Amino acid sequence: MIEITNLEIGYKSKGKHNSVFTGINLTLSAGDLVGLIGDNGIGKSTLLKTMTGNLAPLAGDIKINNKPSAQFTAQQLAQLLSIVVTEKIGGFNLTVWDVVATGRTPYINIFGKLSPEDEAIVTKAMEQLNLLPLKDKLIDELSDGQRQKVMIAKSLAQQTPIIVLDEPTAFLDHTSKHQLFSILKKLCAEQGKLIIVSSHDLELMKAYINRSVTMEENNSLEVK
Amino acid sequence: MPKSKFIFTTLMLLLVLAVLAICDLCFGSTNLFSIETSNPMFSSILYDIRLPKTLTSIIAGSGLALCGLLMQSLFRNPLAGPYVLGVSSGSSLFVAIATMMISSIHVSGFFIMGKSIVTLFSIMGAFFVTLIILLISRKNKSNVTVLLVGLMLGQILSAFQGLIEYMSNADNLKTFVMWGMGSVGSTTLQDLYFVIPIYLVTIIASFFFIKPLNAILLNEQYAQNLGVNVNALRLSIIIISAVLVGVITAFCGPIAFVGISVPIASRLFFKTSHHLHQMTFCLLLGACVVLTADVICQVLSSQFMLPINTVTTLIGSPVVIYLLFKSKLSIG
Repeated sequence: MIEITNLEIGYKSKGKHNSVFTGINLTLSAGDLVGLIGDNGIGKSTLLKTMTGNLAPLAGDIKINNKPSAQFTAQQLAQLLSIVVTEKIGGFNLTVWDVVATGRTPYINIFGKLSPEDEAIVTKAMEQLNLLPLKDKLIDELSDGQRQKVMIAKSLAQQTPIIVLDEPTAFLDHTSKHQLFSILKKLCAEQGKLIIVSSHDLELMKAYINRSVTMEENNSLEVK
Repeated sequence: MPKSKFIFTTLMLLLVLAVLAICDLCFGSTNLFSIETSNPMFSSILYDIRLPKTLTSIIAGSGLALCGLLMQSLFRNPLAGPYVLGVSSGSSLFVAIATMMISSIHVSGFFIMGKSIVTLFSIMGAFFVTLIILLISRKNKSNVTVLLVGLMLGQILSAFQGLIEYMSNADNLKTFVMWGMGSVGSTTLQDLYFVIPIYLVTIIASFFFIKPLNAILLNEQYAQNLGVNVNALRLSIIIISAVLVGVITAFCGPIAFVGISVPIASRLFFKTSHHLHQMTFCLLLGACVVLTADVICQVLSSQFMLPINTVTTLIGSPVVIYLLFKSKLSIG
């Protein structure tokens, strides 16, 4: 599903390449729950941003379904790959429904009107994560665990075969962390999604993931 | 917000707008009801004075409120607005420069050329400041920093404007000070032939950005992942806001309060984040606010014109402060 060859990740600044990690070779398949492991600053978030198209690769190739990711339009990529990031969202009267409904952005018309089918997909995504009772609540009124669930529901509403989560357990308590990983494991098993998660919580991840990618010093990458 | 509620609210706002527009047409130094319709003075007052003023109030109120909403969404900051971020000050400074230039090259007698130059300069000033604010907001993600920079920039531009005013002759200074107080009463029907097409194009254009604006309320990374071209969105919103603020400021002066407060009030009243709803409500509510302010100006001062800025700020700001304290809603 995702094939990465000789990838170099990092940032371009004033014409200079600031390389963060090089020589990444990976093949990830549908149904995998992949744990991305590594110390702070090693480049986990940079790798995830490069995979999702938020950052351009400095060198190498990323193929999704055998097609170079650079050849996808933003709209096509949005239908293949969704993200859940650490940054908290909120304010502006955003309700749980509003946020989950943004998952339909790649499919709806320019006026942002949801069709009955889109509404059914949003409702189903919320049902899967038991969010329907919170549908009209403001995002600001939710706990951190509930917020993460909302963002995952947004990804489900986006109906992408690949979901990328960057440090999704950062603000969660012990119980919420286990609940979150149980949901992710279920999605991989039942819906064949490829889910890539970065986290510092090794023990927690080991209990749920079926593949791991460990980024270490000196561009050393261990794939299990 | 359910479709039926949206339609009902829109119709209610349209009704209020219509009532306010009729009041604005009738109130003034001369009561329109006291003149026979067959009297030439009736049509002269109605078409040459009242109608342009009412239409200008609607255009200025709705346009500034929409700009405020667009900026607040783009910066994801409820305190953003053309006046707070210094955009209106940018327009004012450039209008001052243009006024000086026109005065020195003696083209003010040529209506189209004079007004066009002032408007163009006003748009350039608004565009220039919005671009600086946007560049800063990309370097520094802190909302507080962006607002402080906007306020400082506004102060710097006002200082330059003061310098220009200091160097102006008495006539130019008087014109400019009056313009700076904000007024919807100095626009003619001829001016509106120039303003209305620009206003309509920018308003219609902004409705084509509903979907990306809804997505960017999450954050830029999510918006990009949802297929939004964030850079194109930024540029488009800057152009739309700069043109609207520039045109309105050129003809009405820098009008305070409306740009920041109407979107806040709209969120507090109508409890929706969807931009189709918010844009519609802001357009109507903004027009209602400026019309109300103008009606109050007329009622309080039938013999002289109160500056509209005084009324919008004195009456509108306490209302929004009250709403903010009363409501538990998150506005941003």
